[in-house]
Amino acid sequence: MPAPLPLLSLGPFALVCAAAVTVLLGIAWQRMHTVSALVTIVGLLGALVLQLALQTPDSAETPLLVFDGLSHFAALMVLGSSLVVALLSHTYLRGYTGPREEFYLLLLCAAAGALILVASQHLASLFFGLELLSMPLYGMLAYRFQSSHSLEAGLKYLILSAAGSAFLLFGMALLYAQTGALDFTGLASEMGPWALAGTGLMLVGLGFKLSIVPFHLWTPDVYQGGPVPATMLLASISKLAVFVVLLRLVLEVPTFRDEALSALLAGLAILTMIVGNLLALRQSDLKRLLGYSSIAHFGYLLVALVIGSRFAVETAGVYLITYLVATLTAFGVVTLLSSPCRTEEASNLEHYRGLFWRRPWLAAALTVAMLSLAGIPFTAGFIGKFYILALAVDAQRWWLVAAVIAGSAIGLYYYLRVMVALFLREAADASRAGRGGHWLNDTIVLVLALLVIVLGVWPAPAVDWLAGLNY
Amino acid sequence: MSGIPMEHGLMVASALFAIGLAGLMVRRNLMFVLMSLEIMLNAAGLAFIVASTAWAEPHGQVMYLMVITLAAAEASVGLALVLQIYRHFRSLDVDAVSQLRG
Repeated sequence: MPAPLPLLSLGPFALVCAAAVTVLLGIAWQRMHTVSALVTIVGLLGALVLQLALQTPDSAETPLLVFDGLSHFAALMVLGSSLVVALLSHTYLRGYTGPREEFYLLLLCAAAGALILVASQHLASLFFGLELLSMPLYGMLAYRFQSSHSLEAGLKYLILSAAGSAFLLFGMALLYAQTGALDFTGLASEMGPWALAGTGLMLVGLGFKLSIVPFHLWTPDVYQGGPVPATMLLASISKLAVFVVLLRLVLEVPTFRDEALSALLAGLAILTMIVGNLLALRQSDLKRLLGYSSIAHFGYLLVALVIGSRFAVETAGVYLITYLVATLTAFGVVTLLSSPCRTEEASNLEHYRGLFWRRPWLAAALTVAMLSLAGIPFTAGFIGKFYILALAVDAQRWWLVAAVIAGSAIGLYYYLRVMVALFLREAADASRAGRGGHWLNDTIVLVLALLVIVLGVWPAPAVDWLAGLNY
Repeated sequence: MSGIPMEHGLMVASALFAIGLAGLMVRRNLMFVLMSLEIMLNAAGLAFIVASTAWAEPHGQVMYLMVITLAAAEASVGLALVLQIYRHFRSLDVDAVSQLRG
């Protein structure tokens, strides 16, 4: 039987929910933008500190949730990313004329959903966490409902995410019909045609959320149309949490390691890396480009999933950290240049022409983020790519190795194109300097950029920490 | 226990799911798209009920309660968005709404 109820392990989740309720009551009483933002930030910071303090040698679990090294790592990443998004949202929303406070409410709900999702070891909690994560995102993406693009992004995400959920649920139902169990260990008991079909359907559902290639069509439109903080949340915690739960499924449920499914997954990984990078080549919009780039990055991450060994978990951890830091930096710069939000966001590459001569620090941060996403040595991205390659070579999956290398080579072109635009000597649209930000915001982005470099030059502490977590 | 084998129930649910999916892909009116989504979710719910009855266990029925909760939430958010979209575009055609390209 499990040890005493791990109430303390649920602390960060409870804190995030408490902050959400506080923001909700605050809105009912009186609308105060800065106070709502402060409550959100304090709640997330408190949860982050508590999570950091929690790490106990042996893991705690309940029938629905498990608190081990993997969920500890993922919870830290979720809380950290949400904190960055919350801080940047405040600047972004200052220029918004509609109601602003609800954005924080949605953000906190999404963070709570992600926390449940990464710790789930039961199909019910998986489903609950996933929906608690996706549902607020519909609202956040359609938050600027006066803009047709934002509405379109919200609706597209709603329809495709709901379709993904339906696939996932149907898959769960078939698995349940075969095994009669809903917890991950119980699912391991039996194999059969229904279970196999169910597993396939669940992979389709999760593939929608991760935008694996045949199910990726929504990604660029949603990334481009949504408000930047919402896109940032989608690119960071939503993808991270879904990937972590998929990793847990692959590790714990043997049906997910079936030969045929594994081969299929390897094929999808190769397709995702190549197609994601190829489609990014012709983009003239930075948010779309980052959307395609995230597709490609999850293709690389699928390599870890396909191999699915213990070392693969560490690899995925390293890659997720490097991806998150670089993505948050890139979106952070886009947010600051679009703040305070006006009619149109600074997403077209034209806006970035000659940015270096107007906002040198932000241009430097964006350059670092692009270098890292491209996987250039001395940035975090290189360490992540190196781990993925080492894993694939070690498992002797040469097709995957070839695809990672080919994908990275193609990727280099469009990341460099963004960087070149930053340093061109033509000041395009001077009004796009994104003035009026607090110094704190620039500092956040610069700290993230610094983190990218530190992780790239001196990765040992982070890697040791990851290796020390018990899975 | 009823005399209907579990496989038959699951096949009905699969057919329902396929109908919903076909509707989702073929229909161009947003209302029908949302309705197709409901059909897909209900197919999943039916499959849970069938499996739960076959195993004589309550877990699947609990999942069904969560599925209908999700369907209701999905419908409310979806309809709110559809309302805004109609105000904005004066149309519910998916192709008219879809402007982002690249």
